[in-house]
Amino acid sequence: MSYNLQKKSLIISFMLIPLVLLLTFTYYPAARLIYLSFTSWDGYSPVKQWVGWDNYRTIFANNETFSVLLHNMAYFAGGIVQNVVAFMFAVLLNGKLKGRNVFRTTLFLPYIMNGVAVAFMFGYVFDTNNGSLNFLLERIGVEPVSWLGTPVLVNFVLAFISAWKFMGFNMVVYLGALQSLPEDVFEAARIDGAKGRQVLRYITLPGLRRIIELNLFLTVTGALEVFDLPFVLTQGGPLNASATYVQKVVETAFHYSNFGLASAMSVILMLIVVVVVSVQRMLVLGKGD
Amino acid sequence: MIVLVAATISACGGNNKGNNGNSTPSSQAASSEAPVVTETASATASEAGAGTDISGKIVFATNRTDLIDTKFKEYAEAFRAKYPNAEVEFEALKDYESAIKLRMATAEMPDVILIPNMPNAQLPDYFAELDDLGLNDVIRFKDYKSLNGKVYGLVSGGSTTGIVYNKKAFEKAGITAVPKTLDEFYAASEKLKTAGIVPMATNYKDKWPLYGWQHVAIAMSGNPEFWNDRLKQEKAFEPEGAWAKSLSILKTIIDKGYAEKDINSTNWEQSKKDVASGRMAMYLLPNWVIPQVIENGAASEDVGFFPFPYDNSGTLTTLLTPDYFYAVSKNSKNLATAKAFVKWLIEESGHDDFSGFIPSIKTKQSTVKQLSDFLATPGLNFVEIAPDNSDAMEIQNKGQIDFNDMAQEIAVSDIAGVFDKYNKKWDEAKKALGK
Repeated sequence: MSYNLQKKSLIISFMLIPLVLLLTFTYYPAARLIYLSFTSWDGYSPVKQWVGWDNYRTIFANNETFSVLLHNMAYFAGGIVQNVVAFMFAVLLNGKLKGRNVFRTTLFLPYIMNGVAVAFMFGYVFDTNNGSLNFLLERIGVEPVSWLGTPVLVNFVLAFISAWKFMGFNMVVYLGALQSLPEDVFEAARIDGAKGRQVLRYITLPGLRRIIELNLFLTVTGALEVFDLPFVLTQGGPLNASATYVQKVVETAFHYSNFGLASAMSVILMLIVVVVVSVQRMLVLGKGD
Repeated sequence: MIVLVAATISACGGNNKGNNGNSTPSSQAASSEAPVVTETASATASEAGAGTDISGKIVFATNRTDLIDTKFKEYAEAFRAKYPNAEVEFEALKDYESAIKLRMATAEMPDVILIPNMPNAQLPDYFAELDDLGLNDVIRFKDYKSLNGKVYGLVSGGSTTGIVYNKKAFEKAGITAVPKTLDEFYAASEKLKTAGIVPMATNYKDKWPLYGWQHVAIAMSGNPEFWNDRLKQEKAFEPEGAWAKSLSILKTIIDKGYAEKDINSTNWEQSKKDVASGRMAMYLLPNWVIPQVIENGAASEDVGFFPFPYDNSGTLTTLLTPDYFYAVSKNSKNLATAKAFVKWLIEESGHDDFSGFIPSIKTKQSTVKQLSDFLATPGLNFVEIAPDNSDAMEIQNKGQIDFNDMAQEIAVSDIAGVFDKYNKKWDEAKKALGK
């Protein structure tokens, strides 16, 4: 076998399994989803009636579908705060701090926990009558608050829980990136008399640009795809105030037996993510390199 | 997935062996139990040849994941004792409705299943007729899962909705007799509230427990076709109709503080403990909740059940609703065995009674004390709910109308406005579907 042929066969054999997996579990379902979005399939019957663009028309004719996306804004805001906090912790825990490994583990722990378990746990914290938070507030003389029952509050409460859970993950990513920054640049800056804030502004932040971009991307898609927290804690209530887009999709598919419409909604979500992420890249990070 | 495939394969294998090797007429085995029924069954035997070849392995899909290692093992043994050549395997599915629909779509349906929520028009696509089991004259809800006069599903048990209450809580509040009119009901609620007990666990936040109010509406109307008649009405949801009246009772309960302190922070699991302990007094739910309250710590004799007095007339009407229906896959490799198993489940297993349901067979008595007392309430009228009309269901799904959403919205806004909104949704969906 010639060297070239060897190289080719090696590449192909290494690529084969990941490609097959990718095709079966990502591209095939995605293609199927797009196909289903043009049918009026109810989820179980053998006939899948082709309805053309009907499902898409229905979605765009109904304002309610997109108004729930406003609820996702709370998660987006929470996600920004979460990133800032994560970054601060990362910088802090990158320095020489006593017991920093303990802090790192503690802060990362919530991310490993099961989402539904986290939801249940906070259900007990935010319960109006028996919740620990209201118990604490009452002790210091504050009237109990209906955390999950007040429409203006509920999304922020849920966003807080989500930020609590995912902050550790962002932090670890930042921490890893910080540790990979070359030490000599920092040393040179210090010799030239750069202060801590200047180092952060001109060396650390630019060095982490790619990673900030990645974390923001994860935050935005995460915010658009929230499902488990409101599903477990509020069922979208009170009166739809905390319903999210994905929850609507699931409801449409399984509760109202309209897989076709639900597929179309998922396709639209996919497009929204693509658009939002492209806009974000252009706005936040300039023209790239 | 692997287990699933394995089960299907072994089911096929079992079938072949059974058919070739051993053809003991099972009517012999069955004769001591129910000779008359068996005869009628074989007399009307259709393609299944019921009663002659009860052998092979079948799979039964159930929603009761909690019974798979206990009660269902007993059933499997008992069935085997009756039909030595047959074997039944129980498969419990989590999130039953979605899971079974996926299985139906992939044509890997177990032999016996509980029919999920689907239009009756599609029943013959999936299921075998069950008219040859000889149960048509004695079973409740015979026509509920039938099409063109043919029965495709037999009910696994029935329920009725009423007030499940903690007798100790009533005693503590000084309530001596169960309320017979709506005014008495409100008066009792007031007494409970004064005694520091939450009168009614609505479970408003969890939403689904509000479905009892639909049952009250249908009982009030006395019309089994209450929801289907929306098709004929000018307004699908009449602002003066029974549904509006039923919801106005819910609204009164919430407005007067007879419900949980914060209805947006209710907790279903906790509510069972609270009703059991007497911190909360009542549920408006079907009888299935009784054993659950008892499981959560109430003594059985402290839990009562009475028909909901929705007005002041003094006559009481209650709605009977079916639980899941057993059906046999028309592609089952062991059709006769599957049918025999359904018949056995209904007639002999006692599963309906065990689960706290009203027995499927009309003449059978419930051994649940609360239920038999409830059913024996003097002058109580019954309405047996009719199956959903598929047109009505289609419009409702298309318009994404959920009755429990309506019930939730009523609590914070006025009935006329909410009904207007849903009438509009209905009309639009109806128009879109061209019905």
